[in-house]
Amino acid sequence: MKKITRRDLIKLGIASGVVLATSGIFKGNALAGAIKLAAGNMDFSPKTGAERKMIPSACWACNTRDAMVGYMENGRLVKLEGQLDSIRGLGKLCSKGGAGINQLYDPGRILYPMKRAGKRGEGKWKRVSWEEALTELAGRLKKLRDDGHPEKFMFHYGRMEASTRKMVKDIFLKTYGTGTIGNDTSLCESAKWTGQELTWGKHYDNWDFDNTKFVLNFGASPLEAHSNAIPLLQRLVDAMVERKVKCVTFDVRLSNTAARSTEWVPIKPGTDGAVALAMCKEIMDAGLYDKEFFKFIKATPNPAASTDEKAAALKKHLASYTPEWAEKISNVPAAKIKSLALEFAKTKPACVINYRGTAAHYNGTENERAIQMLAAITGNIDNPGGRCRAVTPEWQYPEGPKDKPEAKKLDILDGFPDTVVYPTHHVSHQVLDMIKAGKWGRPDIYMWYCYNPVYSNGNCKTNTDIMKDESLIPYSVCVNAYYDESAALADLILPNPSYLEWWDWEDGPSATQVPEYYIRQPFVKPLGESRDFKDVVCDLAEKMGFPLGFKSAEEFVKLSCDQTPGVKEAGGFEHMKKQGVWHDPKAKPDYYMYKIEVKAEDLKKDGVVFDEVTGVYWDSKKSKNPDAGYTKAKNAYEGYVGQKIGDKVYKGFYPDRVNKSGYFELYSELLKIKGQQSLPTYTPIPEHEKMGAGDLILTTYKVPVQGASRTANCKWLTEMYHDNPAKINPKTAKELGIKSGNKIKITSTVGEITTTAQVTQGIVPGIVAVSHHLGHWEYGRYASGKKAPMATDNDPGLKEKWWKTYGVHPNWVISNSPAPVSGQNRFMDTVCKVTKA
Amino acid sequence: MSDKFSATRRQMLKGAGAAGLAAAASLVPSGHAAAKRRGRKKAKAPKWAMVFDLRRCVGCRACTVACKAEYDVPLGVWNTVVNEEMVGRYPDTRKPCLPIRCNHCAGNRTDGVPPCVKNCPEYPKQRQKYITPDGKKIRYRDGATYKRPDGLILLKNEYCTGCGKCITACPYGARAFNKHLKAGKDTSKNGIAKCSSCAHRIDKGVVPACVNICPGRARVFGDLNDKNSEVAKLVKEFKLKEKRDKTTLLPKKDTVPMNFYIDPDKVLKTKMAKKVYKEDSFKCKVN
Repeated sequence: MKKITRRDLIKLGIASGVVLATSGIFKGNALAGAIKLAAGNMDFSPKTGAERKMIPSACWACNTRDAMVGYMENGRLVKLEGQLDSIRGLGKLCSKGGAGINQLYDPGRILYPMKRAGKRGEGKWKRVSWEEALTELAGRLKKLRDDGHPEKFMFHYGRMEASTRKMVKDIFLKTYGTGTIGNDTSLCESAKWTGQELTWGKHYDNWDFDNTKFVLNFGASPLEAHSNAIPLLQRLVDAMVERKVKCVTFDVRLSNTAARSTEWVPIKPGTDGAVALAMCKEIMDAGLYDKEFFKFIKATPNPAASTDEKAAALKKHLASYTPEWAEKISNVPAAKIKSLALEFAKTKPACVINYRGTAAHYNGTENERAIQMLAAITGNIDNPGGRCRAVTPEWQYPEGPKDKPEAKKLDILDGFPDTVVYPTHHVSHQVLDMIKAGKWGRPDIYMWYCYNPVYSNGNCKTNTDIMKDESLIPYSVCVNAYYDESAALADLILPNPSYLEWWDWEDGPSATQVPEYYIRQPFVKPLGESRDFKDVVCDLAEKMGFPLGFKSAEEFVKLSCDQTPGVKEAGGFEHMKKQGVWHDPKAKPDYYMYKIEVKAEDLKKDGVVFDEVTGVYWDSKKSKNPDAGYTKAKNAYEGYVGQKIGDKVYKGFYPDRVNKSGYFELYSELLKIKGQQSLPTYTPIPEHEKMGAGDLILTTYKVPVQGASRTANCKWLTEMYHDNPAKINPKTAKELGIKSGNKIKITSTVGEITTTAQVTQGIVPGIVAVSHHLGHWEYGRYASGKKAPMATDNDPGLKEKWWKTYGVHPNWVISNSPAPVSGQNRFMDTVCKVTKA
Repeated sequence: MSDKFSATRRQMLKGAGAAGLAAAASLVPSGHAAAKRRGRKKAKAPKWAMVFDLRRCVGCRACTVACKAEYDVPLGVWNTVVNEEMVGRYPDTRKPCLPIRCNHCAGNRTDGVPPCVKNCPEYPKQRQKYITPDGKKIRYRDGATYKRPDGLILLKNEYCTGCGKCITACPYGARAFNKHLKAGKDTSKNGIAKCSSCAHRIDKGVVPACVNICPGRARVFGDLNDKNSEVAKLVKEFKLKEKRDKTTLLPKKDTVPMNFYIDPDKVLKTKMAKKVYKEDSFKCKVN
């Protein structure tokens, strides 16, 4: 007999509950005792008792993009909760997700196209029709295109995922012909992704908490804020409580994850790599490395090196990285490093995790590589319970016009020349500075989407000055639902709806290595005249004479659902509208995918050659200069076929953005040829080496009830969190003569902020921590106390709002400073002085 | 209100619900047979309880927001919050979380009436009938604040004078004036906001909103009379009733809360757990 799981019971609860609720027969009190209460996915009005209509959709309050459901009452969306049928979210949602309602009904919403009426940034606006707005915009865009300069249209997005990215970036912008497309990953964790692309090929790591026996955490906070938060949070809690899995967290701050961990190990900022390397040394020296996995590791220049040779090379490289050495650098006791290293190596499987705490530093990519090494030498890669390459669904979608010109672009996306060696996710925080410099060209039209360049980049002062300057940026277009700091500096605002009013198919990473397909569908029609930007690009393309082949996001999502294998058979679009989610119930989790052997016939295909230097089989036709060899040929990775290991050819750790081999590369020829260290190395942060008396390191963090820069307009969140005093350890505070509640000034090379001190035992000495979320000077009354020029008063909360503080924003004192390997902005490196104000 | 309606268990089983119930009965070992067995005994209402598993609360405040949405709770008022407190000295620092809501107290051990109900001048009022799951009737008195036979402490705004005595009577600070609601008997004043345990959802067979959303599954809700419920199992496993003095808030107040805490780290010994009614105990503040 099939074993009944907790999940079956939950489902059954729903089934019976729904029948009861909708049959209209059951009108008494609850069915106690005999029937388990349903877990959710039905809701009733507390006033009338009437059932609220449920619509499945997907969240967008953070990058997790959890599958969810919403409830309607009198035509209004009243409540959001998790989607019980989702194998990722398991019916859960977080506070930001729940407060999505506030995004929809924000009284500060921009509901009509607005054209600047006064000077740029003056706050004077004129409402215009869509026809007027789009005719003007399409006219300008078409002229650039017709003149042969599509690259002078720069499109810069913050969050743009899944079908939105496909429609806007891969179809509309590509057909238009501009390659001047910026993103915001270098503000997030691009150092981590570059580190992964150099080691195991494709970015994004899933942590298999369901099967792990030990979690070692360097600077991640999945219990608080993470790009796959809800799927991971509950699984980590389950692992710790139900299976008594130990979790040890290195962090400069007692994050909610550190607080809930078995142990918090305080560490000096930017030194995680040193600890990870010392652990690797202990493990290698103790002979506790995984010989089986070593077969897939590259640790020397020789692709045919034996496991013994590789182990010897690593031991030699690690020789100086003793725990005692690491203690001096990180303040983590050597004995602790030793014991944790041995415990990590002996506990199988174990999962090492990390995030921005290691990434947003000068040495972010090196930290990533050291941590990847720790996972690799212990064989905790792509295995049940380990650190796995993430699995996402493979949607099929209409690809738009066949005729897509070769993109032209301005060289302003990847930082100033020779500053960054592998900007695989661009260097967006340098874009404004490069526009100012002018040497690499300037866009005639600068348009941004779900992005707040003034606020989200470092050095807000400079950003504001550049964005305001019409001689640097002649025409600026903002696509937004809210009047944020950057919208205030636009020439034209196209009113986007909130995510609760638009269509998408979605592709968030799975926590179980089984892909989940899900969609986002509107709960209500876009408010006012707001229009989903995906629909707008269909119109713009039509106006410019290159129709995309679909008229709207809804049609695009429909066509995608109806042609994606699996989703199609399940009922396609109609099924997805009704159910919201789909996964293949027979799918097995994707583990050990690197062990798949490449078919012999694939190696014999036309153009496929063997590269002696790396042992890679690749299609040399994909490169313009194949004679340079796989490693140095342009875009050779696009032709990767397989990796020869011994007498077999494996799919291996295939590349995604750089010409790495199919090995798990601890040794990186790519870094070597750029003058970087070939094996994972500890590189001290230059400014931290030169710190003088009274200097502190500024660190930043996120709280669980605000999402980055985009939720302060949510009244239910901001009433819980609207002030962010600077956290300082008592020892440091005493040295500075500062007490809790004192007004303090934080000064760096780029500026100063005034805030309040909060002396706390939950932070390491020598640093000051200021959260990222607050200190808005626009974004409406809940966020900043300032009413947007086009705002209405139709929200009862405006009269109930009781807070009068709005916090501070640390980016006024953080510079735009790219890390040398990835170009990630170094949000956690700022050296500052803290004085009484 | 839903408790005005009456429908017997038998009627229910006759209807469309039968399929669902039968299916449930095959998995959950009580169902129809248990209902029949109980039919011979005295009418018995469910005994709702909440277990907060403090090992699982990560302080995300999804519960707080879910409650805001469920009831359109005004700004400045919360029916459920999560308090947090920094304890210990660096580097041995911890930050426990303490989720709280109305304790739906059973009331002191002599008269079984919780302080809010006792202090309500508009209690008792009308006679009401509570229909148990097996179709029996239990009579009780309602009021502006009253205890239903299933243990929920509920409000009936039509009786409420907005006097606020229940607010001061509650040692936990779980009640506040509801700016979105005029008191039924005195519209110059506001009615009361507090956790109803989502009675309107429970009465339709679904868990409270905060329980539904809780990502850590730190909130477990169910019927203590049902031995197979998760809540009953946890109460048994962790001896939550026997150790009431260590598993409930302010035990000395003798309110006999129906919220229990699984608390291996002794969070209930922190200052935040011991503080008697203060204005800010139900003000959600994130540090």
